[in-house]
Amino acid sequence: MKIGVRIWILIIALFLAFLAIAPWKTLEKGVLVQSVEQNSSAFEEGLRKGQIITMIDGNSIESLEDFSKIILEKNYSNEKIKTLIKTNAGEFIIYSNESLGITVSSLPNTNLKTGLDLSGGSRALIKAKEKDLSSNEVSDLIDVITNRLNVYGIADVQIVPVSDLSGNNFVSIEIAGATPKDLEELISKQGKFESKIGNKTVFIGGEEDIASVCRNDATCARIEGCFDAQGGGYFCNFRFSIYLSQVAAERHAEITKDMPVNSTPQGNYLSEKLDLYLDDVLVDSLLISEGLKGRVTTQIAISGSGSGENKEDAINSAEEQMHKLQTVLITGSLPYKLEVVKLDTISPSLGKEFTKNIFLLGGVVFLIISIILFVKYKKIKITLSVILTMFSEAFLTLGIAALISWNLDAPSIAGIIAGMGTGVNDQIVILDESTSNTSISVKERIKRALFIIFGAFFTIIAAMLPLFWAGAGMLKGFALTTIISVTVGILITRPAFAEIVRRIQD
Amino acid sequence: MKNMEEIKEEKHNKRFSKEWYNKYYKILFLIPVLFLFISLIYLGYFYSKNGDFIYKDVSLSGGTSLTINGEVSQEILEPELKLIFPDVSFTHLSELTSKKQIALRIESSASPEDLKKEVETILGYSLTEDNSSVEFTGSSLSKDFYKQLIIALIISFILMSIVIFILFKSFVPSIAVIFAAFADIVISLAVIDYLGIKISAAGIAAFLMLLGYSVDTDILLTSRALKSQEKPLNSRIFGAFKTGIFMTLTALAAVVPAFFLITGLPDSFRQIFLVLSIGLTADIFNTWLTNAGIIKWYCDKKKIQ
Repeated sequence: MKIGVRIWILIIALFLAFLAIAPWKTLEKGVLVQSVEQNSSAFEEGLRKGQIITMIDGNSIESLEDFSKIILEKNYSNEKIKTLIKTNAGEFIIYSNESLGITVSSLPNTNLKTGLDLSGGSRALIKAKEKDLSSNEVSDLIDVITNRLNVYGIADVQIVPVSDLSGNNFVSIEIAGATPKDLEELISKQGKFESKIGNKTVFIGGEEDIASVCRNDATCARIEGCFDAQGGGYFCNFRFSIYLSQVAAERHAEITKDMPVNSTPQGNYLSEKLDLYLDDVLVDSLLISEGLKGRVTTQIAISGSGSGENKEDAINSAEEQMHKLQTVLITGSLPYKLEVVKLDTISPSLGKEFTKNIFLLGGVVFLIISIILFVKYKKIKITLSVILTMFSEAFLTLGIAALISWNLDAPSIAGIIAGMGTGVNDQIVILDESTSNTSISVKERIKRALFIIFGAFFTIIAAMLPLFWAGAGMLKGFALTTIISVTVGILITRPAFAEIVRRIQD
Repeated sequence: MKNMEEIKEEKHNKRFSKEWYNKYYKILFLIPVLFLFISLIYLGYFYSKNGDFIYKDVSLSGGTSLTINGEVSQEILEPELKLIFPDVSFTHLSELTSKKQIALRIESSASPEDLKKEVETILGYSLTEDNSSVEFTGSSLSKDFYKQLIIALIISFILMSIVIFILFKSFVPSIAVIFAAFADIVISLAVIDYLGIKISAAGIAAFLMLLGYSVDTDILLTSRALKSQEKPLNSRIFGAFKTGIFMTLTALAAVVPAFFLITGLPDSFRQIFLVLSIGLTADIFNTWLTNAGIIKWYCDKKKIQ
């Protein structure tokens, strides 16, 4: 049988969806690095988030259990021991005395991501108390929270601004897997920022000690220059100004006035560093230049560097570092009180039950629809083509979801199933139109079917569209998968199905 | 082969061009309209009694939903919890095949801390993320959610109506479709209220989908009645009915099992399928009795035979 253009388009689309979903990932073995502690020897050796560990000390790692077992056996104590880690990005030899300072998770089976209600995890929606945030303020807030969660050691987190139909701005925070115990406190607490020299506090975050921080202004916050790093790569220096209040400046003079100076090839700096703490965790250590010793200066230049494999990466890294520091300084203490308006913590094991039941449900629905179709049409070819088309549609929708990294939550999957329902409906229209009226041509009859199908398509899009904005986007997934699924239907599967029907009837 | 089909069709036409539909369509038309009236009256009564058109679950009224994994007994928890949280309610989640309970969901307007603490005291063990899930929605947010979803539903209805008008470009047939969609929503709401089911945010979202989902049979009916004129009108309406009822039945086959067979599904999932199940059932009557009646009357009047 000759295959027409429309069927070819369907076949190619299915192939692309297969590539997007990447089901072969199920066969990959290993564990995925979720986070690497900065300053750990693993980090210094080059182990990074996203790498896949396949072997430790010659033992192959196939699952999380393997990983935990081997790490447990290593028995890290005071003495530094050697760990040989083989990853997809090469081998690393790490000497460490405590733990490796990394967290890992099992490898995903496919590129499909499931939402929190199916995979477990926590989601919070926060907004400012008694204040409407502008979009700039919201993005500042996101920076603070992201920074704080990173400092805390939570790696797998998504923080996005959300606004709704009433014009409220929220920040949505999603953490996959295990939920930190004091999540609520972590995201809504105002936070304590401290800068110390030795054990003496110089200034703390907030208006009292820091008058202002220069940002987004090239005259006082910029990348100073980039250089070849020893042993390859680049590094770039950044520098920006902060302005201390008079009180904080005098405190600084008092603390530094008797401090010795160290000479280094990069310049002369005071013997002790300025340490920045956020919620009692060390965020950064800054060198203090000689000229600031004992002076009541309100302006302090804070510098640092970022590195990368090429110049562009190094600049990006430096900019990111600068931004991070600026953020810490500005908002070490949040400028507004936050309120957790929604907090969901879903147990991963319940999510597993749900997923299992959804699959079961899919099977039941599939069976019932197949039987109904066969009873009605009594032709195996037609029943099969309807069912195959229905599956193609769901598969293509999943492919697009994988491509845009959409988190498939329960409403999203409901949308896919409902979309399959409308798909079957449309195919019934095509079948009935093409068999009902034998006095006109098949082409004309299919044209009539297409009028009905396009009508149904536009009404469902019109009906679902408002969901994108209502309810802080919590039901966006439902609208999105429905719209994707009916669009896939109209553009790819329906034309192919019409062609198949025409061939079966010819 | 073709002859056989033609003969079959003639028989079929004869059967369906029978006079009875001409005689009774106005009475048939009135049945769903009567239902609509009863539903509207019921919703009015419901509103005066409860101050709202639906029973809202905690995602729309504010509060906590606590889901505890395993076979936790409601009998032990209920009496004690009722004393402290009078509005507490319970749902059992169970497996499809074994009917074994996989979790118990407790809902109340209380804060997560209060509810959790009380349940922990009664059960005698602490609730962690390994054995339980907690969903909390603040009362101001939930009010906002509710308001916005209602606005979304209205916008959705207007957009759908615009599409229908553009599609048919004539007043009466378009109004007939829109009226049927309106009746679907009102009747479903009344049935859900009557059954005492609490609606969540996902449930309201499902009403939006119902709008889009239910009108395809109306479009089928209207376009067949108005456009293809090789056969008598009654026969065209009955032909559309045969296709349309089959469409709705397969759609119901896809959504009903989710609600009635499996309770161990996320609540949002069940809500969506519950609303679609009830709505599509109502749609059978609203499309094939009401909408068909209006179209029949319209075609008779416009002499479209």
